[in-house]
Amino acid sequence: MLVAIKSGRESQVGIMNEIDIVRAVIEEGYQISPQAVELIKLSNSPENLLKYILATIDDCVFVIEPEHVDLQGFEASTTVSGRVANNVFTPVSEPTSEQTLKSANPDTMKVFDSALDVSEEPGLIPSVEPEVVSAVEVSDSNPEIELEILSSQGSNSDFDSDSIHDTVHGAAHSSFPNPLSPSVSPKNVERPASSFFGNTNPSSASKNALRIDSLFSNQKNSFSSSSRDEGVRYLPGRNPVAVLSDITGHSTCVGEYIQFVQYFRDRYSRLSEILRGRMNARPIESLKRRSFRRGSDGGTEELSIIGMVSDINTTTNGHKILSLEDPTGSFSVLIRNSDKELFELASRLLLDEVIGVTGSVTNDGNLMLATKLLQPDVPNSVQRRTGSHGKVVLISDVHVGSSQFLEDSWLDFLDFLKGESDSEEMQEIAAQVRYLVVAGDLVDGIGIYPDQEMELDILDVYEQYRKAAEYFREVPEHIHVIISPGNHDAVRQAEPQPALPERICADFPENVTFVGNPALVDLDGVQILIYHGRSIDDLVASVPGVSYQEPAGAVLEMLKRRHLAPTYGSRVSISPEKKDYFIIDPVPDIIHTGHVHTLGVQRYKNVLLVNSGTWQAQTEFQKRVNLMPMPARVPVVDLADFDVKILAFD
Amino acid sequence: MGETIASEEMHEYFDGLEARLKEAIEIANRARAQGGDPKPTVEIPLAKDLADRVENLIGVQGVAAKIRELETRMSREEAALEIGKQVAEGVVGSFPTKKDAVEAAIRVSMATLTEGVVAAPIEGIDKVELGKNDDGSQYIRIFYSGPIRSAGGTAQALSVLVGDYVRRGIGIDRYKPREEEVERYVEEILLYKRVASLQYTPSEDEIRLIVRNCPVCIDGDPTEEAEVEGHRDLERIGTNRVRGGMCLVLAEGLALKAPKVKKHVNKLKMDGWDWLETLIGGAKSGGSAEDEQKSKIKPKDKYIRDLIAGRPVFSHPSRPGGFRLRYGRSRNTSFASAGINPASMVLLDDFITNGTQLKVERPGKAAAMSAVDSIEGPTVRLFSGDLVRIDNIKEAYELRPQVESIVDIGEILINYGDFLENNHPLMPSPYVFEWWQYDYEAACPEKTPEEELKNPSSALALRLAEEYNVPLHPTFTYLWHDINRNEFEALRKFVVEKGTFDGEGTLKLPLTASFEEGIKPLLEKLLVLHRVKEDKILVEEALPFVLCLGLDSSLKEKAGMPDTDDMVEAAGVLSGFKVYPRAPSRIGARMGRPEKSDLRKMSPAAQVLFPINNCGGITRNLVSASDYTSCMNGKIGEIEVELGLRECPACGKETYFWRCECGEFTNPKLSCPRCKIDVRGAETCPKCGRKPTSVANVKLDFRSVYKQAFENVGEREKMDLIKGVKRLMNGQMTPEPLEKGILRAKHDVYIFKDGTVRYDMSDIPLTHIRADELGITATKLLELGYREDIYGNPLERDDQVVCLKVQDLVISYDGGEYMLRTAKYVDDLLVKYYKVGPYYNAETIQDLVGVLLIGLAPHTSAGVLGRLIGFTKASVGYAHPFFHASKRRNCDGDEDCIMLLMDGILNFSRSYLPDKRGGKMDAPLVLTTRIDPKEVDKEAHNIDVPARYPLEFYRATQEIKNPTELESIMDLISGRLGTPEQYEHFMFTHDTSDIAAGPLNSSYKTLGSMIEKMEAQLSLANRIRAVDAPDVAERVLKSHFLPDLIGNLRSFSRQRMRCIKCGEKFRRPPLTGACPKCGGNVVLTVHEGAVRKYLEISKEIGERYGVSSYTRQRIELLDYDICSLFENHKVKQLGLSDFMSGSAR
Repeated sequence: MLVAIKSGRESQVGIMNEIDIVRAVIEEGYQISPQAVELIKLSNSPENLLKYILATIDDCVFVIEPEHVDLQGFEASTTVSGRVANNVFTPVSEPTSEQTLKSANPDTMKVFDSALDVSEEPGLIPSVEPEVVSAVEVSDSNPEIELEILSSQGSNSDFDSDSIHDTVHGAAHSSFPNPLSPSVSPKNVERPASSFFGNTNPSSASKNALRIDSLFSNQKNSFSSSSRDEGVRYLPGRNPVAVLSDITGHSTCVGEYIQFVQYFRDRYSRLSEILRGRMNARPIESLKRRSFRRGSDGGTEELSIIGMVSDINTTTNGHKILSLEDPTGSFSVLIRNSDKELFELASRLLLDEVIGVTGSVTNDGNLMLATKLLQPDVPNSVQRRTGSHGKVVLISDVHVGSSQFLEDSWLDFLDFLKGESDSEEMQEIAAQVRYLVVAGDLVDGIGIYPDQEMELDILDVYEQYRKAAEYFREVPEHIHVIISPGNHDAVRQAEPQPALPERICADFPENVTFVGNPALVDLDGVQILIYHGRSIDDLVASVPGVSYQEPAGAVLEMLKRRHLAPTYGSRVSISPEKKDYFIIDPVPDIIHTGHVHTLGVQRYKNVLLVNSGTWQAQTEFQKRVNLMPMPARVPVVDLADFDVKILAFD
Repeated sequence: MGETIASEEMHEYFDGLEARLKEAIEIANRARAQGGDPKPTVEIPLAKDLADRVENLIGVQGVAAKIRELETRMSREEAALEIGKQVAEGVVGSFPTKKDAVEAAIRVSMATLTEGVVAAPIEGIDKVELGKNDDGSQYIRIFYSGPIRSAGGTAQALSVLVGDYVRRGIGIDRYKPREEEVERYVEEILLYKRVASLQYTPSEDEIRLIVRNCPVCIDGDPTEEAEVEGHRDLERIGTNRVRGGMCLVLAEGLALKAPKVKKHVNKLKMDGWDWLETLIGGAKSGGSAEDEQKSKIKPKDKYIRDLIAGRPVFSHPSRPGGFRLRYGRSRNTSFASAGINPASMVLLDDFITNGTQLKVERPGKAAAMSAVDSIEGPTVRLFSGDLVRIDNIKEAYELRPQVESIVDIGEILINYGDFLENNHPLMPSPYVFEWWQYDYEAACPEKTPEEELKNPSSALALRLAEEYNVPLHPTFTYLWHDINRNEFEALRKFVVEKGTFDGEGTLKLPLTASFEEGIKPLLEKLLVLHRVKEDKILVEEALPFVLCLGLDSSLKEKAGMPDTDDMVEAAGVLSGFKVYPRAPSRIGARMGRPEKSDLRKMSPAAQVLFPINNCGGITRNLVSASDYTSCMNGKIGEIEVELGLRECPACGKETYFWRCECGEFTNPKLSCPRCKIDVRGAETCPKCGRKPTSVANVKLDFRSVYKQAFENVGEREKMDLIKGVKRLMNGQMTPEPLEKGILRAKHDVYIFKDGTVRYDMSDIPLTHIRADELGITATKLLELGYREDIYGNPLERDDQVVCLKVQDLVISYDGGEYMLRTAKYVDDLLVKYYKVGPYYNAETIQDLVGVLLIGLAPHTSAGVLGRLIGFTKASVGYAHPFFHASKRRNCDGDEDCIMLLMDGILNFSRSYLPDKRGGKMDAPLVLTTRIDPKEVDKEAHNIDVPARYPLEFYRATQEIKNPTELESIMDLISGRLGTPEQYEHFMFTHDTSDIAAGPLNSSYKTLGSMIEKMEAQLSLANRIRAVDAPDVAERVLKSHFLPDLIGNLRSFSRQRMRCIKCGEKFRRPPLTGACPKCGGNVVLTVHEGAVRKYLEISKEIGERYGVSSYTRQRIELLDYDICSLFENHKVKQLGLSDFMSGSAR
């Protein structure tokens, strides 16, 4: 060990010049004063000193000044061991080394062997995609009737949920208000045999199920980028909440180029880590260096790479060419249109998602002919968390202040929460409500689109929030309210968005917790990922079959990519943060989105996907694009069995 | 068309021009015959008339003769349709397939409609195809593309009619759309409206009606990035993206011009177009609005929507204090340009000068400005309290520092023709001298000198009014309509009680008391000029004013107030004179864009179309390319570029030039791009059927080519910079000879994409000139063929006004200097490269007077021959309105270019034109040699040219009559067509002593940053009575700064990255961090600075002008957004309160 450090020192002394120091510091999200740079350079092992500083520096420091260069502490640490230098800072600052890419823990791969088998099954990915659950109609005559989308009446809920998917399939494409035939019972239809759910044994799920997916997360990486500076926020009480991941107060963007690079590197390293458990991939750079001809048999070797999609083209003959990129280089991958399944999958790929590809490299070493594509996806073995109780109410897009805000329906909804509904059934539900989650667009905001003032009842944005606060003061105190912002709210537009500013939050009662967008929150044992859903617009535009009428289908596409907003540069504005907050890791129990003003509920591999509707009637803009919103419908999720009820307040 | 109808003098003029043109072409042909260019002859065909142009533009033989024949029998539009039919039927021209015939027919027809000038028929229609209806029959699909815009709505709509007309002739069925296709059109057009913009957006039902019934399928290429969301992947519609050309034709063509189409349908008795009736009927609902307009002109605020920072508002819509309308035409106005007094230009802080475009309230949308000093200038209040009118520019400069407020910004001169062209109801004319003169002449037998009549003493005015009952002279008519009855009474009372009137006609009012009682502002509203002296307001020659208040000279009330709310009437009744409204019509205006006079540079600029790839660095310098080495031991000056290979038919040698060393002309060496085989001149590859090409990536020994070129022209190799291009854009990769670049660099001239040197200027009309204002002499004018002045006197002095000949041009001095450099370059080229004699021999710009030029407008493909006759200090290009009209320009702020004739015919080649959509636009594909007023844009026919408007005209304006009702009594160009008078003996109603008076450049151009401009704009707004400064501030914030902030904020978060070394762009940063192509550093394209640019000024202006709290909150939120994005929150946790207090400043 000691020898290694020495040799390292020898080779590094002298080559650590000013630019290297500044760059390393910026990559970690700090800035550094020239004096401090000078001081580090004077050290006899500048690189190790720098690593030490970066590892020990106080989070609230922004510019590293000479006084932050703790030479004594460094001396002490180097004499004890080289741990800091060797373990902590490898992946980000030296991405070109082959080693980083192969950093997958061998143990992880072993544990995951069984899952690998599953994913090897040809054509698995296209077939897992469940049919979109369309809605759910509420009888016109009885406004407070609810219809259960999914029930737990069967002994094997997995089978039930899947079969209802198929049942609904035929009607899925009919527009929302069409009533589904009430005679369709989940039990009547058997799912075809191709189900993969047979692989898991539901009965073996223990109360504290092992979340295999957590093994995918790159522990090292999350150490370097998140866990160090972002603590979990616990809000105890009768209905406790733990905010597990949230940008609020942790934004480090100052608008430097390197921060964009860092953001995408984090995305690559964390998503590729998930894939790495399922395939033996090599760095792209290594493909270019070697000849792939096998001397004796003349056949070509099958190779795998993991890359971020940087470009998708169609050749004149109708094949697809993907450009895949990793931190070592980029490579073109050809998907032949003769391979129907593969081609179908490729035509659903999005720019900037991370995928794994297996195939052979052509003789000239310039192109890979793909035979297999792999998305990070959710492992089949994910179990839902159990053991909680009560209900969570999911809403979004309230748009207080808009002239189209449906105040009557909204007041009915508040009455329901207060347990003052006319029907006993509703009162019963209300009694069980523990949480209320708002996924963005609490108010209509100002200046969101041109001439918005023509469509506002309340022109003052703070007045809009005061009005909203007034409404939320009516929510019973025991219900824990969680509010996340959206694109109409008074926070920065670039995502991840921090929680609403203090000035606004102050008006709201104590039982309201403000989080950022997106935010991963634990509701007494159940994890819910809240995201407003700006990227749904992108997904609708680029993934065939995804539509505004079935918004949960878009969320499903996110989940397969393990990313909430894969495509950069389109409709989602991003703030390049050190950590990619859009990555879906760990896999939550519920993903809650909004934004598109239509309602959708689906289940995918034990994850419940809910897109809640709106409290705003059709706007002028929606009229022009012929979008029918689905106002005043509220999904209520049972935290014990994830049963969903849709309540109507119109 | 036949012979030009003109006087002998004009014939001489035309013949002279043509003779000199012929001579020039001979020289050019001799030069080009040596093989130094892609073709050995001049490549700009001449076109004497429209028929020639159409034939040359579209290239269908025999069309010209046919058009001439048809035009003798029918109108232009009918002839256009008929010629289309004949082409389609094969009577004229011959084509391999039905499809080709139809395509040519539509193009020919459209070219005829657009005078064969614009590029729309060749560039705006991509192709015509035949589709299949569901019942198996065929239909026509016309693929429109973006440049169809240049054709204008009527021609666009008629092209559809042509399509229908010709398809009938050859038995093709109508288009039967599927229902999903109909809905696609609806979605697509509404989407286009959002992403681009439409002048007129049809309703959904109108679109459905058009698509369901239109017998031709209006199709198009995708032009926008946007894709439709529903109605995707339709079988018969090849794209999901928005087809801009289609949207334009359907919305701005068919939907907007339905009445015009209907007219032709009726004339041609075509069936299947009855639905137009429904369309027109539906649109007629606007009729009641028109009635309203009949009785009263209402303010229109359209021109101040979308205010831009730095472009000031001069008057809010129809506000008192804004421009006062005056009817008439000066020699440098009309044709969508208007005149104001140069003193107004100066006092409006130099924002307006000659050629500056103003967005105006009416009659049209925009107008270019010209200096006319015979109309009234602005009235200002000085810091001393004096209210003075400033009519001359010298005084304006003197008094400008003392101006406290601009009470009235002066008159604006607009001619009747512009109202006619825009079909705008005539606004009531103020009571002006021209009108008063009629009343005077009718009533008074006395002869008084005109000068005295123009500026009479109060005594004369009163005597005429009293003795002959001539209405009160305009000079003593005040703006009674701008005050109300209470104000009138207060003023009257004040004058009675506090005023003194001395024998010399001066009214004295106490200053302090008049402030206290609000009387001074009333005098200002009335434009009663006065001075302030020793706490007294002095109104000179005040008797008419006193009389109009109903007082006698001892300031006693003569009569009681009449029972009326019309204060003009009250003044009349009280004084006993006829008093007419002095400023009943006001025109709001704001600055559009500044005037332009600058050389044309491509971006990046180039001096020769020779490709050097990246070897010349970012400046694309040929000098450094000649020293380029690709690697350590590479050959010096060897570069890899794409070039078209050529082959000598005689000796078989491969080369890149048009003439082989052996003297033979070379041919392109064609090979198949895929099979790599030499196709030996075949049309398609014999193996795979692809189109062969001569383009190849070659290793060029550039150094020796470069050295040889220097040797060829005998120049010494000591230039620092010769700018080439990275890659050629033309299809066959034809480069220009390097020698041209060397000589251009020597003379510091730049080229456009077609190899010509150009100079751009704003268009301003000019119908009369004086030698002394053009930097020339009467002798020179005589030499140029001018003989007499407008009054028929022989031309002897430099200050005589003469009628401008239609193809003569006056350019800016800067333009003259550039043309001089170009002339020297052309001479060098002729001598050193072509080895023939020099042509221009010009040493000073004076030597250029008389040379021939080519005028060419953007979006068009036909140049017009012109002759340079003088220079102006204004930054504009003056030409006869016919000359502008023949380029299909009017003068509402457009600009276009000139080039030297010899430069054009020597250096232009079609081979250089980019091989892409729009590549053929803005290139002189044909040259119009003679302007026939009948064949220019019809807009020019509406110009009025009398010396005086008739009395009936002034009377008609009072009734807000439609201008068409007066067409017969006005002396218009349209009435002179077909007679020699169409070229000569034009007159004007208002003269100007200097066409170029006023500031040299608009302060918009001279002020530095946008923030400085904004400050200037607001400080001006504060001073002008007719402008509401807080409203300006709010509008600028709303339509410029806030969208800019939002847009930049958004683009920061979605930005592309760029390599600073090789310029490669990335949609997102490469994961490696560095440029994968060259390893260079990658940087952001949008920085924090760009996002923040307008934040501080927005905040400050929002505070200072008290804009609405809505807008202020928007700024506050954006501030918060920007800070949240660019500040590290971990640091901010401490400093949040600091930031908050900082922003609230």
